[in-house]
Amino acid sequence: MRNRTVATVIASSAIGLLLAACGGPPGSGGGGADGSSEAEKHAQQVYDKINGLSGQERTDELVRLAEEEGELSIYTSNSDMDDLVKGFEDAYDIKVSVYRGNSESVLQRVLQEQSAGFHGVDTVETNALELNVLNKEGFLAPYESELRDQVREEGQAENWTASRFNVFVIGWNTKLVKPGEEPKTLEELADPKWKGKVSLELSDVDWFAAMVKYYEDQGMSEAEIVELFKKISSNSKVVKGHTVQGELLSAGQFSVAASLYSHTVDKAAEAGAPVSWHPSSGKPVEPIVLRPNGIGLMKTAQNPAAAMLFVDWELREEGQQVFADKFRIGSMPSDSDPLEGLEAVEVPESELLDNGKKWDDLYAEVVKGGEEVSGG
Amino acid sequence: MTTASPALGQETVAEPARWRRWLPTPKMLILGMVGLAIGYLALVPLYYLLWGTFFDGNGVTFGGFERAYGHSQILPLIGNSLWFAIGAAVLSLVVGTSLAYLNVRTDVPFKALFFAASIVPLIIPGILYTISWIFLASPDIGLINRLIEPVFGSGAIDIFTIWGMVWVEGLHLSPIVFLLMVAAFRSMDPSLEESALMSGATRWQVFRKVTVPLTRPAIVASILIMVVRSLESFEVPALLGLQNGIYVFTSRIYFVLRSYPPDFGAAGALAVGLLVLALIGVAMANIVGKSGKNFQTVTGKGFRPRPMELGKWRPVMGVAIVLYFILTVIAPLVVLLYTSLLKFYTAPSWDVFKTMTLDNYRELAGMSKAMTALQNSLALGLGSATLVMAFMAIAAWIVVRSRIRGRHLLDQLAFVPLVIPGLVLGLALSFVYLRSPIPIYGTLFILLIAYVTRYMPYGMRYAVISMHQISNELEESAQVSGASWWQTFRRVLLPLLAPGLLAGWVYILVVSFRELSSSILLYSPGNEVLSILIFEQFEDGEFTVLSALGVVMVLTLILLVSIAYKLGAKVGLNRN
Repeated sequence: MRNRTVATVIASSAIGLLLAACGGPPGSGGGGADGSSEAEKHAQQVYDKINGLSGQERTDELVRLAEEEGELSIYTSNSDMDDLVKGFEDAYDIKVSVYRGNSESVLQRVLQEQSAGFHGVDTVETNALELNVLNKEGFLAPYESELRDQVREEGQAENWTASRFNVFVIGWNTKLVKPGEEPKTLEELADPKWKGKVSLELSDVDWFAAMVKYYEDQGMSEAEIVELFKKISSNSKVVKGHTVQGELLSAGQFSVAASLYSHTVDKAAEAGAPVSWHPSSGKPVEPIVLRPNGIGLMKTAQNPAAAMLFVDWELREEGQQVFADKFRIGSMPSDSDPLEGLEAVEVPESELLDNGKKWDDLYAEVVKGGEEVSGG
Repeated sequence: MTTASPALGQETVAEPARWRRWLPTPKMLILGMVGLAIGYLALVPLYYLLWGTFFDGNGVTFGGFERAYGHSQILPLIGNSLWFAIGAAVLSLVVGTSLAYLNVRTDVPFKALFFAASIVPLIIPGILYTISWIFLASPDIGLINRLIEPVFGSGAIDIFTIWGMVWVEGLHLSPIVFLLMVAAFRSMDPSLEESALMSGATRWQVFRKVTVPLTRPAIVASILIMVVRSLESFEVPALLGLQNGIYVFTSRIYFVLRSYPPDFGAAGALAVGLLVLALIGVAMANIVGKSGKNFQTVTGKGFRPRPMELGKWRPVMGVAIVLYFILTVIAPLVVLLYTSLLKFYTAPSWDVFKTMTLDNYRELAGMSKAMTALQNSLALGLGSATLVMAFMAIAAWIVVRSRIRGRHLLDQLAFVPLVIPGLVLGLALSFVYLRSPIPIYGTLFILLIAYVTRYMPYGMRYAVISMHQISNELEESAQVSGASWWQTFRRVLLPLLAPGLLAGWVYILVVSFRELSSSILLYSPGNEVLSILIFEQFEDGEFTVLSALGVVMVLTLILLVSIAYKLGAKVGLNRN
């Protein structure tokens, strides 16, 4: 019709526009940080000032500065954030906005915003792995306080601080597993008598890595350990997501879940569901696996004082009580420690950060090990 | 009708001089704008995807392909995927087409049920629909299995098989086919079938030799969308397949995007595979549609759609429809409603009925974000459905009617977003709008752009199919009588396209309520949408509250779609 075709017009102008808008290829990251120095300098000053103070003087100055800022932006994957924020807003004259997603999208969002020099977030509250990535990228500023010094040792990470722990336990359906027949160890679940009655979760690589390390310390070889997990896997039904796993466990789709969160079990049991991780007599299956979740301060925070005050809040009694009410394990040791006397192992976070792919592949292989045996 | 989108302003100012020199007429301006908008919306995420796939820090790479496909078990994965996708496509095609045919062309009883049957499976979030089916048909705890146990023995039906996956996915997708085929059958002159009948053909012969060939463009489009959709789907395979170790192709995408750093190269390579498949499909659909006048059933001759009498088959069909309705709508909905009244799921018994409460609904009503989220979802759903269908009506004219060179590229471009993973779309948009001088990042507009992009492919198929059915002679006579292109489009074509456009509009409105994968990255505090709320409840393990939310969503959308159909009927959109 015209000597110019729709195709070329569309293609050329759209690509032209896109390139103009981006000013470079995606994925090149970095850049864009010009002008952030100003914000960064201001935040650094506030952090340094407060980190240098202590006692009542620190608290008073922090509250004064934070209320002066009057706002706070949190990015989080923490499902108890609403209750935490409510208490915080009641206590202080600060308006909080919360972005909540899964830990992957929290991380991707911060990475995207930082690479574009957009300072949308003051403090990030999410899982250990993602916080370690942010720290590795150099986005986090140190937080110091007397509160931090009291946090369980596993939770005093570099440039971020644990607020609570996810605890992986072995849970069962109390209607299907009679008192006295509960599993005593994870190894037991490799026994053919549990065939088709166990459940593994598709993405619990961190739990898996922690257990592998534990067995290695017990003197087992890697081949033996993988063999053990493959046997467990061949007894297992694989599900995706702990919510689905918990729901199907209480519905009786399987009898035992090898890697449940303790709070999922406790919360369901509170509602009356026939699930438990405490046997009728004796101790729960050991070891339990601890994975910290925590909070870190952004170097480019627009409201650095409010961010620090919020970290304080999470670690103080008020914050820790919110976690306890939801059957979560807070990071501050307390008198009624639900983990008292239990052997616990940690998720090897730095190993997972450095060799993530290796562990992902290994766990995927283990989980698929069930395929040949129970398939069809 | 307003067709301004935030992205659009940019392009029109970008090259005003050229447009004025070469394309001065309003017609070309409108066409140009629509073409540019589609190109822009499709190319931004595509460019981002391809860049991540083929380039790393050092230059061009094909490592992503190796990581994605160079896997010892890739063949069984592809085998499972194809089996699953083709099975689900065939099931949804058969079910959707039969229902549409019965509804539009025959005097089948219980027509009111069709409406609910066509919408409800679309509304229920995939994860709830699938879990409802676990509660119904698991060999261990399934309610249906318990019902039929005395006759067939225990665990007679097993949902955790590839057949179970096909069943759930096929039923969940069948509304798309139903909506497409209803539009196609409505625009079909029944005199063609009547002549065949009078010439002595049996009803089955008529269906096979006349009806089906006439709706071939719609059938091809349905197959295309269904196959691509099922190839991409991970929810159903993850919940039903994994239990017995049935892995599909997309489980690879899940694994490579989950680990850190996410392997966008491999995810992109997998998406590129789907893209090639989809583009071949679109090309095929165009070749089928090209046979020109064969499908143009809306011509200058008026016709009165007269329902065919089913005779002795009427009661049989009636029973079949009631059964289908019970299986796809009532059963999962009842499970959902039942669960929403409990504190935790447990099999029904008298004791359980005594403990039922409305606590979950009370909790929902107490959620401050619930109202905002509902409003935002409504605004986005209505906005994106209207924008997409308005743009695609014009785009379909370009593709089907115009002789502009490269028009088929437009069709291909509009289909591209279907294969782009939601997360990648979210990343691409935040990348662009974080750097854009126009403040779109952090507002509801970025979600609107994402939704319009995601639903463009569906809108295009609905519009193109309808356009294929309308004969040129109607436009030609309008133009001969002195109407301008725009007058013709508005007064002649738009009313004739209306059944197809309305069907597409309804589809987009309904599914936009469920969009999560790109929303989760792009929403901002205060701009929450319902799917974010669903995600949060799910993460918190509030399964019973989630069921209550599902029930509320079904009721809201049924009300909304009923109003849309009523209004449609009033202005003559609905010809039945």
